[in-house]
Amino acid sequence: MKQAGSSNIFSIKNRLLRLKRDSNRWSLITLFLVFLIALPVISIAFKLFDGPGETWPHMVKNLLVQYLSNSFYLLIVCSFLVLLFGITTSWLVSRFEFPFRKQLEWLLILPLAIPSYIVAYAYAGIFDYGGTLELLQRFLGIEFTRIDIMNRFGLAFVLSISLFPYVYVSARAFFLNQANNLLEASRVLGVSEWNSFFRLILPLARPAIIAGLILVLMEVLNDYGAATYFGVSTFTTGIFRSWFSLEEPETAIYLSALLILIVFALILFEKWQRRKMQFTNAKIGNQRIYRKTVSKKMQLLILIIVSFPVLFGFLLPLCQLLYWAFLTYSAVFEYEFLMLSLQTFGIAIITAAVTVIAATALIFASKWNRIGIIKNISRLGVLGYAIPGAVVAIGVMIPTIHLDKWLMGVLNSAFSYSSGFLIHGTLIALVYAYVVRFLAVAYNPIESTTLKVSDTIPDASKTLGVGNFKTFFKIEFPLIKTGILSGFILVFIDVLKELPLTLILKPFHINTLAVKAFEYASDERVMEAAIPSLFIIFTAMLPVLFLNKLLVNK
Amino acid sequence: MQNYLVIILVAIVFFSCKNETKKDDVKEVNVYTHRHYESDQRLFKMFEEQTGIKVNVINASADELIQKMNLEGSKSPADVLITVDAGRLHRAKENDLLQSVSSGSLNSTIPSHLKDTENYWFGVTKRARVIVYAKDRVTPEELSTYEDLASEKWNKRLIIRSSGNIYNQSLMASIIVNHDEPFAKEWSAGIVSNMARSPKGNDRDQVKAVFAGEGDVTIINTYYLGNMLESDDPEEVRAANGIGVFFPNQETTGTHINVSGAGVAKYAPNKENAIRFIEFLVSTEAQKIFALSNHEYPVNEDLPMSDILQTWGNFKEDKLNLSLLGKNNKNAVILMDETGWK
Amino acid sequence: MLRIESLSKSFDKGKTFALKDVSFSLKEGDVYAIVGESGSGKTTLIRLIAGLESPDHGFIELNGVQVSSIKKMVSPEKRKIGLVFQEYALFPHLTLFQNILYGISKQKNKTTRATEVLELVGLAEMKDRYPHQLSGGQQQRVALARALAPNPSLLILDEPFSNLDAMLRAQLRNEVFDIVKKAGVTAIFVTHDTQDALTVADEILILQKGKLVQKDAAANLYTKPSSVYVASLFGNTIQLSKELQSVFECPLKADCCHAIRNENIAINDECEYVTNATVLKKTFMGSDTQLYIKLDNGEHLTVITKHSHIDDRITIGFNSKDVLEFKE
Repeated sequence: MKQAGSSNIFSIKNRLLRLKRDSNRWSLITLFLVFLIALPVISIAFKLFDGPGETWPHMVKNLLVQYLSNSFYLLIVCSFLVLLFGITTSWLVSRFEFPFRKQLEWLLILPLAIPSYIVAYAYAGIFDYGGTLELLQRFLGIEFTRIDIMNRFGLAFVLSISLFPYVYVSARAFFLNQANNLLEASRVLGVSEWNSFFRLILPLARPAIIAGLILVLMEVLNDYGAATYFGVSTFTTGIFRSWFSLEEPETAIYLSALLILIVFALILFEKWQRRKMQFTNAKIGNQRIYRKTVSKKMQLLILIIVSFPVLFGFLLPLCQLLYWAFLTYSAVFEYEFLMLSLQTFGIAIITAAVTVIAATALIFASKWNRIGIIKNISRLGVLGYAIPGAVVAIGVMIPTIHLDKWLMGVLNSAFSYSSGFLIHGTLIALVYAYVVRFLAVAYNPIESTTLKVSDTIPDASKTLGVGNFKTFFKIEFPLIKTGILSGFILVFIDVLKELPLTLILKPFHINTLAVKAFEYASDERVMEAAIPSLFIIFTAMLPVLFLNKLLVNK
Repeated sequence: MQNYLVIILVAIVFFSCKNETKKDDVKEVNVYTHRHYESDQRLFKMFEEQTGIKVNVINASADELIQKMNLEGSKSPADVLITVDAGRLHRAKENDLLQSVSSGSLNSTIPSHLKDTENYWFGVTKRARVIVYAKDRVTPEELSTYEDLASEKWNKRLIIRSSGNIYNQSLMASIIVNHDEPFAKEWSAGIVSNMARSPKGNDRDQVKAVFAGEGDVTIINTYYLGNMLESDDPEEVRAANGIGVFFPNQETTGTHINVSGAGVAKYAPNKENAIRFIEFLVSTEAQKIFALSNHEYPVNEDLPMSDILQTWGNFKEDKLNLSLLGKNNKNAVILMDETGWK
Repeated sequence: MLRIESLSKSFDKGKTFALKDVSFSLKEGDVYAIVGESGSGKTTLIRLIAGLESPDHGFIELNGVQVSSIKKMVSPEKRKIGLVFQEYALFPHLTLFQNILYGISKQKNKTTRATEVLELVGLAEMKDRYPHQLSGGQQQRVALARALAPNPSLLILDEPFSNLDAMLRAQLRNEVFDIVKKAGVTAIFVTHDTQDALTVADEILILQKGKLVQKDAAANLYTKPSSVYVASLFGNTIQLSKELQSVFECPLKADCCHAIRNENIAINDECEYVTNATVLKKTFMGSDTQLYIKLDNGEHLTVITKHSHIDDRITIGFNSKDVLEFKE
């Protein structure tokens, strides 16, 4: 019998033995999945070794400061605005009764149905010379005062008003389900409602709120269409410019790497602050919140405050688009347009399904693997979201083209069959790129519902003789259905709206509504962009509302 | 209920994927193009009907298309590359993505300064980058050259688009070619200090800003103004009508022109079809459509311009070889960045 | 039927050990209790036995077959060990009956068996209810039935009664272990309550900070505890330090540690070693009275007596036969 000295137990030899014992196929599967997801990023990172391009010093001297300044400006202002809109509305809608509360509850999510670059086009159209605002002022007989929104602040406002629902949704989930016990405990101790909110509920809601905020900030950094249109140079526009205009992929890659670092820092920050608050995962109390009735005056005030984001984030852009659609429909609407729409939906559905499966597989494979380090690696799958769509597209092209060339070589020499590209330029490459980009979107809701299921449940199943895989289908899957459905819907919407990646990777025969809208807009025919935009919006609206129902009924 | 939903979803997916399968021996030509006008679609259909060759289109910016073709290498399915600017065509040639083509009709139809000297690419439509001015605040007598726009008298009166825009980059490149880099840098600095506002928006936005009084002059491509005059938006028409057109540099180097052009890809799998396609683009009927629908100048000088363009009259154009625009593009961008032209 | 050798587990790469060098064997058919405070390693131990954790050192043998070691790990679903979790872990989306059927779905007579086991715990008429519709005690019994249904060779219960109130606890304890004994299965249950252990277990294992300090039948643990800690688990003890020894004029062996149980301390009664003390505070506790006293040498002690009437000055003493001796 060996003496169990601690240096002995953790010697290299013993560690290796245990590693061998603990390795199972799930470890391999997890590693493989993470590798697939990380492949585009790795391809790009490898190219970093080629050094930055010759224009890098020029970039640093003349442009980098601007990119940093604008990007940080956007991050800060958008954070502020998004938190303002998101937290205010979610608390008011959860805590108080007021007329039209039920309708506003879901109306507040609708801005998510409109891609932010389309909101940008709409707002530019409203505030433009000869735009709707000027027409209105002229109609009312007021002197025309132009409000110029094509600047940093305008961009920040437009992005915030269209992205705040991410924070609204996560804050609301917390308030609806967790806040009641806290409120009661706090009131009993004599603390006013106002103070209870700021000193107790808000701090505890922080992890949920910050999680939503991180999604927003990543979208802000990723945006290309709106920033370009408004003339604000950000990291992303800089990346596009050096990649395409200056023809220096090396410089673009360096910029991308910087951008990824910033996002990485954000993500680490979120994880760190979530760790400190791990007790909020526990059951603080799952009672539904009670709604307060207040005076008619207060109700009116609340109604106005809550309607503000709906008005500016959804109704106003929508009306502008409808006006444009009215002006242009005869030119745009045809049979081919319906085909286009069907194609778009088809792609979005396939991608959503594949992404959800990939996310679930990643989450559970890493759970079932027994090696500690690998468990932590699985989280890397969400990195794709931090990378601008166009860069992901390039990152996917590199390995798929290599793979294709090899495959074609093999087919040629083994079977004398000369083929064209098998993966690159097909739906497979496109969907793969989407999955890399949007894995995070499915991963997060699925992971959070999985965390809600206590670990003892699958443990119990195992002690009853049922293995990992079967346990998943019989026990865990039924319990995480809402998470999976949420993930599916969120990815579906995101694919509907996605632009830069699609532009680069879409196969010959395929076009999407988003690309069509962008083509019109960048062709200086932004009015014609209204109809494809409206199609996107109306298609996205249904799942958005359905998702909302799910969340509220939990 | 849920089951029905699943069935519908699967049906949509199936339906939308149907188009994927293609037979290999269908006659086709694969076109990578930066242009996305409705009139182009009509042209492609026309070509399909006349020749039975199917036109497959990928739309993206020229830069992205060039990147794509670079990555695809010898296995690229691209047959034809179409850009909206000669500079990018030149870049494609430099990247070894195009091949030289000998075609009698192309040589005879297109003027020599509107195509590559070695026949790697061919201009298909022509556009001029002109000065437009507010009719109520500026008289044509005050205008002369692009170079003059950098002078003191236009201080805070100039509206101009971002340096990120390819048309401005080519204009800048032409200034470098017609003078030299130090001059061009000074010119760019002058432009920047004359800006009434930070560059934003597209060509039409510049017009609207001038009309509204935020500035007095701007520089745009001719076809945009043509399209604005026929726009569905009454406000655009109003603005376009309040603007006068001036062709600069008539006494000196000539107005800066550019082309939208096409080249045959180096590894084109359907080379013959590609050549036929480009020849079609410069045929009379195609050129008519470009001119009428889009207010672009035909490259075929025998053909008439659209009515609107005719009202602006003929003009002396800068006959510098357009390949030079591409050669100097990068320098142009760097100089513009250095002088703070956003 | 269960043999454990040198079992060790650390969750922080050896800085601290949840379990250190634990070895013991269990006989078939008996009921064993694992007693320890929180952090003693008892949950880790049972998770290791069930196969839900893997050891860093040592091995586990089940019916002569190695199931856990640093080279080999048999997965929990292959071990035929039933586990009743502290929080019951019933599957919320399945009815009681479905919960029980879950572990025996491949058996031929599964419905009969499920009914049988459900009747054993007295919940047959609730079989189509869902877990959230049941009380804590009822969920407890379903969890037990579910674990018993597949006829496991070993049944482990993790703090089965800690979620229940005192009255229900005693009642359920007796019921549950009647069932267990009737089923004839080897059982281990984990508890921090020594009363539970004493009542039910054939043998008790004491875990302290990851180490096994004593394994013995209840009576032996009581009369021959191996350390002050073990002794104190079964009632208040007072350690007889050198100072106390001199106060009582009771010289004891120098190289050992000594203690006396509170219930063996006599108040105002005759014994071998006596001293005087002043009562500082009396606390009424029902059948007992707790006294906070001060000895004449200044030391303070807390003792318990069954005498109802106590003066301010008392005598306090004990007999040498009651002195507990440990090698320290």
